[in-house]
Amino acid sequence: MDLLTLSFAVINGLLIGGIYGGVALGLSLIFGVMRVINFAHGSFLMLAMYCSYLLWASLGLHPYVSILATVPFLFIVGYFVQGVVISPLFKRERALVVEPTSALLLTAGVYLVVDNIVLMAFGPDVRSVAVDITYESIFVAGLPINLARLIGFLAAIVVAAALSFWLKHSEMGRAIRATAQNRDAASLSGINVQRVYNVTFGLGCAVLGLFGALLVPFFSITPNIGLSFGIKSFLVVVLGGIGSIPGSILGGLLLGVFESVASQFVTATSAAIFSFGLFIAILLLRPAGLMGRA
Amino acid sequence: MRHTLTLLLGGPLLVLALAIPLFVTDSYILHSIAMVLFFAYMASSWNFVCGYVGQLSLGHSAFAGVAGYVTVLLFTQLGVTPWLGMLAGGAFAALLSVPVGYATFRLKGPYFTLTTIAFAEILRIWLENTDDFLGIPLKGAQGLTVPPVGGSSFLAFQFDGKVPYYYIILAMLVGVMAATALMERSRLGFYLKAIRGDRDGAEALGVDPTRYSLTALAISAFLTGLGGAYYAQLFRYINPERNMGIDLSIDMAIMTIVGGQGTILGPTLGALLLHPIGEMVRATIGGSFLGLHLILYGLMLILAVIYFPKGIIVPLQRLLDGRARKSASRKAAAKTDALEGKGQ
Amino acid sequence: MSAIEKISEVKKILDVKGISKRFGGVQAVSTLSFHLNQGEILGLLGPNGAGKTTAFNMIAGALRSDTGEILFEGRSLANLKPWDICRLGIARTFQLSKPFGGLTVLENVMVGSFVRTAAEKEARAEAQKVVDFLEMGGKAHTDADDLTAFDRRKLELGRALATKPRLLLMDEVVAGATPNEAGEMVHLVRKVRDLGITILIVEHVMKVIMGLSDRVIVLDYGKLIADGPPKEVVRQPDVLKAYFGERYVDARA
Ligand SMILES: Nc1ncnc2c1ncn2[C@@H]1O[C@H](COP(=O)(O)OP(=O)(O)OP(=O)(O)O)[C@@H](O)[C@H]1O
Ligand SMILES: [Mg+2]
Repeated sequence: MDLLTLSFAVINGLLIGGIYGGVALGLSLIFGVMRVINFAHGSFLMLAMYCSYLLWASLGLHPYVSILATVPFLFIVGYFVQGVVISPLFKRERALVVEPTSALLLTAGVYLVVDNIVLMAFGPDVRSVAVDITYESIFVAGLPINLARLIGFLAAIVVAAALSFWLKHSEMGRAIRATAQNRDAASLSGINVQRVYNVTFGLGCAVLGLFGALLVPFFSITPNIGLSFGIKSFLVVVLGGIGSIPGSILGGLLLGVFESVASQFVTATSAAIFSFGLFIAILLLRPAGLMGRA
Repeated sequence: MRHTLTLLLGGPLLVLALAIPLFVTDSYILHSIAMVLFFAYMASSWNFVCGYVGQLSLGHSAFAGVAGYVTVLLFTQLGVTPWLGMLAGGAFAALLSVPVGYATFRLKGPYFTLTTIAFAEILRIWLENTDDFLGIPLKGAQGLTVPPVGGSSFLAFQFDGKVPYYYIILAMLVGVMAATALMERSRLGFYLKAIRGDRDGAEALGVDPTRYSLTALAISAFLTGLGGAYYAQLFRYINPERNMGIDLSIDMAIMTIVGGQGTILGPTLGALLLHPIGEMVRATIGGSFLGLHLILYGLMLILAVIYFPKGIIVPLQRLLDGRARKSASRKAAAKTDALEGKGQ
Repeated sequence: MSAIEKISEVKKILDVKGISKRFGGVQAVSTLSFHLNQGEILGLLGPNGAGKTTAFNMIAGALRSDTGEILFEGRSLANLKPWDICRLGIARTFQLSKPFGGLTVLENVMVGSFVRTAAEKEARAEAQKVVDFLEMGGKAHTDADDLTAFDRRKLELGRALATKPRLLLMDEVVAGATPNEAGEMVHLVRKVRDLGITILIVEHVMKVIMGLSDRVIVLDYGKLIADGPPKEVVRQPDVLKAYFGERYVDARA
């Protein structure tokens, strides 16, 4: 393989990897604060993609404009899923009945419900959004860079930075961080932990609202696309250290480049096998993640 | 208590199950009931390790699929009777489970679950994209069919009516429950529950968690494999998506969890409740609403985790225990009421 | 000095030679050496965070020590897993007792007795003996989750005893117990010693350990600061300092 193809693969990998990182942000945030792995994470992304698609197909809204709707919509969905479905578990846990897989099971239930509601509504067909930006590229040093992917990549960086800043400097952000460190202490110091959880979950999903819309211009959608994104997100946060925002982006970049370069050598399906293989290898060798403290 | 429930519920259920083909003659209905038993069997096999050790595997379908393929290939390529093929397939699944389990049982919670998915998906994707492996015709996503031998043949595991299939899966289900009951009372059963309760505590009492989890997993994989082989024989067809996709794993897990993990009857109870619901929805309105039954499964799972975290077997048990004790407690209650009345 | 020499003529069951453990920036235990004689009750004292549990975990194989070695009956425990160490004859309890949920008291104890036998009947009979020894016969069929905190501690002791240990490590057995319960536990520990089991006991409550131990050692910041008979050790200024702070010692001086 020549240098040009390789550098093209690396750049493409970095772009899509940044987006992976952005998609994984919510998973990492929710875990960091609530210690819950959201099995339905990918399903919420899929939901956002369908929202964006629907707005385009019915109203002709450009996916980038649909962000104005998908972000708040996903925030509300997340807020209520946590408030209605997951919070009973936390209330029970306070009574010291701790079942570590319960949260996973609950969110697996959410995954089934969301995926199949969308399947019911839209059918199993592959759908895609045709907008001009899909095919637009800019050239940097003679290499074509797909504009839609570049925008997704930049959005991931910006969102990660903004999220870090917000967590540090806003009142709610501080409450979220305090709760992440010690739920009981936070509760004693007057923080409404339930609300913090609701907002955290909502926020984690709102980020998916953004990336769902940013993905549709160059990613065709099916109702079962969520699970693979969810698993990839989990891999990303494991790579970058679970609960860490910069780690999430870094993990995403790593996965993106790995996938992109690997697919230069093997077929696309084998590449899927490789990323699952990478997932297993990372978990077995460094369960705390590459960046995490072992 | 637990054993009284098993007998109280299991006894009549078994008699009923044995009698069903006598008065159900419609082959579609009998087939549907056999499918309920099939899912009860699969859930029970999953429960054998996951329910007792408290880990959520969503990769068990790989064991079913692999064993199914082994059975079908042995039959079509070498003419080996599926009865032997089933055992070979189960053994193959058990063998496969050892390295997988060795790697995954060190992980906990979601890490374990997602790794089991990754293993199963690797296998499924590979199979879907492999038409021929070392001269073995796997036929990729298209899958394999079992050629009919014509008429009923016990050796070929092919029968005209549904009745033989029904009794075979019933026997398998009774078998897996008996195996579970034996395991529960053995050292293995105690150790698995100890690992589930407190891994460090178990280690300090001489339990090597990996070793015992692996033993249970290998048995569970073997049992799951037998089920997968049965399924392939029943439909005379096998493909990667249906026989080893994640949906099958999810079904096994949900039925067990809704019914009651770590119990002998729980998985069967879950299958008895969920599969008919799923079937009815699919048969009536499901045609126009793809996936509706999975929505119901998801909702049931959510409700069970919130309201019956140990499965619906628990309230059922309480109901039965309560009835047994009712007369005794009523007398006692009357007494206390009388006493309190006096005090006032 | 001479007293210690005399004791060391007795057979050493456990010999800890210079073990250390570092967690990131914290040196939890640094080159700790001590030994246990056959049949004695050794008290391990030390303020919060002194490294007692860490030392414990290294002996029990739950943590690997950074340096040194540990000999049990002359045999090195290096690289042995907790379950191997249990099989060799060292049992332990945890600072936080967690019974195996969903199992009865008797069944919890059976998990321990299964180390010595694979037969369910035998394990049950052995466990029954242990339950009777603990005077918990009346609760044998209670779900372990429903026990009081103190009964959980007793149950944990029972599980450990069921593995038929020659050395028993106990971490904070009377923490949070009422005086009555503490008395009962002291009585039980003596009964265990009378079975011929050597005991290393970590305890916060000075009074308990003074009455119970044949000898005590004191840890502070991961270092051994005293070793000797209880009455002598509590009078050492270093020990008082570690426990009550400088001012207390100065005031008494
Ligand atoms: N797994 C760990 N990771 C990091 N630091 C640890 C870990 N375990 C213990 N430490 C630290 O090592 C030091 C010794 O802890 P240890 O639990 O051994 O003390 P202890 O004497 O048992 O205290 P206590 O009386 O509170 O039980 C403490 O500073 C503690 O914070
Ligand atoms: Mg301690």
